[in-house]
Amino acid sequence: MKMDLIICGVGGQGNLLASVAIANYAMRKGLNVIGTETIGAAQRGGSVVSHLRISEQRIYSPTVPAGTADFILGFELVEALRHIDRLKPEGCYIVNSETVPTVLCSMGLDRYPTTEAILQELRQRSARGYLINASEKARELGGAIMTNIVLLGALSRVIPFIDKEDLADVLTGILPPKVLEINLEALEAGYNMVA
Amino acid sequence: MGKYIMGNEAIAAGALEAGVAFVTGYPGTPATEIVEECLRGEDVYVEWSVNEKIAIEMAMGASLCNLRALAVMKHNGTNFAADFIMHMNFTGVRGGLVLVSADDPGANSSQNEEDTRILLHTYGHLPIFDPATPAEAREMIKEAFVLSEETGSCYVLRPVMRICHSRSIVQLLGQSKLERIPEFIDDRSRFVMSAVSEPLAGGKMRPLWRHALLNQKQKKFAEYAEKSCFNSIEVGEGRIGFVGCGIGYSYIKEAESILQQKFPLLKLGTLPLPEQKVLSFFKGLDKVVVFEEIEPVVASLLRNICNKKGLALEILGRDEFLPGEGELTAEEVIHAATRLGLAKRPTAVKTSAVKAPVRTRTQCVGCSHRGLLSALKQVSRRNKAIVTGDIGCYDAGSFPPIELQSTIFCMGSSIPMASGITKTGIERPVVAVIGDSTFFHNGLLGLVNAAYNQSNITVVLCDNRTTAMTGFQPHAGSGEDIQGGSAPVLSPEKIGEALGVKTKIINPYLLDETKEALDKAIKEEGVSLVISRAPCYLLNARKGGQPHFKRREVKMVAERCNGCKICINDLGCPALYYVGEEKKVAIDLNSCVHCGLCADICKRGALIV
Repeated sequence: MKMDLIICGVGGQGNLLASVAIANYAMRKGLNVIGTETIGAAQRGGSVVSHLRISEQRIYSPTVPAGTADFILGFELVEALRHIDRLKPEGCYIVNSETVPTVLCSMGLDRYPTTEAILQELRQRSARGYLINASEKARELGGAIMTNIVLLGALSRVIPFIDKEDLADVLTGILPPKVLEINLEALEAGYNMVA
Repeated sequence: MGKYIMGNEAIAAGALEAGVAFVTGYPGTPATEIVEECLRGEDVYVEWSVNEKIAIEMAMGASLCNLRALAVMKHNGTNFAADFIMHMNFTGVRGGLVLVSADDPGANSSQNEEDTRILLHTYGHLPIFDPATPAEAREMIKEAFVLSEETGSCYVLRPVMRICHSRSIVQLLGQSKLERIPEFIDDRSRFVMSAVSEPLAGGKMRPLWRHALLNQKQKKFAEYAEKSCFNSIEVGEGRIGFVGCGIGYSYIKEAESILQQKFPLLKLGTLPLPEQKVLSFFKGLDKVVVFEEIEPVVASLLRNICNKKGLALEILGRDEFLPGEGELTAEEVIHAATRLGLAKRPTAVKTSAVKAPVRTRTQCVGCSHRGLLSALKQVSRRNKAIVTGDIGCYDAGSFPPIELQSTIFCMGSSIPMASGITKTGIERPVVAVIGDSTFFHNGLLGLVNAAYNQSNITVVLCDNRTTAMTGFQPHAGSGEDIQGGSAPVLSPEKIGEALGVKTKIINPYLLDETKEALDKAIKEEGVSLVISRAPCYLLNARKGGQPHFKRREVKMVAERCNGCKICINDLGCPALYYVGEEKKVAIDLNSCVHCGLCADICKRGALIV
């Protein structure tokens, strides 16, 4: 068993928590895990990408080589586009349809591609993918902050080795008890957003 | 079962397992968390020093008293500490002293990209460990403490960003306490570095004698390298060998597993090199490719060995064959293997046809620097001022849309550079923008110089009471120490007063007051210090504090917006965005924190409170 995953988004979206949850899940299953994040210098609003590698064998490189990732979990459309070259042709992507505009695009110095153009690029990389509005779902359930958990729920459905109940158990150990119940609801909701 | 932890945590754990009793450092990505993780140790003295030179000097103080000490910094900090290091290498140490100098190949979080092995080994002649994995970094730092005491020399651990910031499963042992009682023994011939004749060396000049002793130690370092478990040979097919230094080894192994091939491989984790091991690896090879971060340090040393031994081996490295800058990857190893005819070229992954727009760094929503930078931009434009910049969150003011600061170099350089510019006699006002942590790091001396030499400059101190960019570490002006206990608040205004500098404190969320104060300071003769004081919005919010601004709900009256984008261009607030189809600005209510600044900027009454 070997699985390489890229989780990408914008600083402040809770991308790291998603990566740590899956890493802990894999550890419980007795697998090897290596991860790395590129966070740049910004606290908020910058591009953030986590590489996560899981295997029964020893793993060497902390980064996932281009064209070899099994899954891409995109918290934001442009961020998914930025890292889609990591995905292998048989891979699968799950992307949040909500966009976070860039300052340069707002200034007119840069252009935010249309959703259609981005989707076309994603589809060219792999036939298997899902575009879901995880942010909207999270807001419905109580707050955009749970977007990461909704996405994690969706991911748990497409990754064969993840069992949703076990993942919920891992989250129980990570999340503050106060918000646990609502987050588990978000996980379930995300799970149901992909077929 | 091991723990899934960050490389920095593994390094700290190794230091605690080695019985470190004294830890110092200055925050700098990618090394910061090493210092913070050492707080887990019991009875370990841990501090944020005001800069890296002071951090290594503090650690040396502890070493002189026979404690095991650790100084932690990123490569820029090592540059700053170099003056002390170039004496400490001559004197040697007493208690084990380890310097962690973290490099950032690819410059993901740095102003420059450099290889501190050159400064510390080629130039400073110190022995270095270069880890291939976080787990190895932990083993290396333990070994470094032991060898430091055996050889009486400072040892260096040089982790790269992908070691510091990668996470993996590491088995941890507990802290070990050495229970050493601090003891200071005078040894002036060693620890008084001065140009005097040394009786112990038959009257030779002391620096010369100490230099000779450092040279003699190299043999010892090399003997250890020869025995070290961090250097090893793996057999493989063919007459072209690969050398993997530090994380370079991990990328070669990854490439081997992708290609399902085994190359003759020399794994190197130490400097100096194990010469005998190198020579035995060279046997039967025609060519060797060296994968190392960042400069061709080991490649040059291998060429030296070939020259010395008269070997006709070709050594390829990062000077010609491999890229001379940036991070290594497994793909780079595969690319090299195909160019050498060792592997079939894999189908290239094509780049996306649709370009992803960049996310330039900007201030967070609610940031206290936003009002200041906006006000300073307007005032500077009006006065045709030249603005020099420094390192910290406020440096994002040099990028679009603000584009205020015209320079960024290294910690503290804004003030002396501003003084230098004004002393040319140029007829434009000059402003230096510097943060509080950077001011205490090395900005203070620039201010002293400006005051002494009667510069005509304005220094704007962005005082948000924390080292925000590296993750909110407290500093000399925060009123808090690394443990979260209370500490004296060093007052920049009192420092300004003591230096005879005109000082004014402003609240950067009040735009008119800020503009007025800046305008006045710029027009004033001599050195003016404007302290823009408001706590970091993010940190303050995390601590549950009230914001420093009066909360104002901003509403968008769309019919009044003519799409002039002044609000976007003068604030760069991520909560404001432009809707192209409607040619109007909109507020992202998910991220807006109601600081109200955009309503102050909008001249058309479209953004109102």
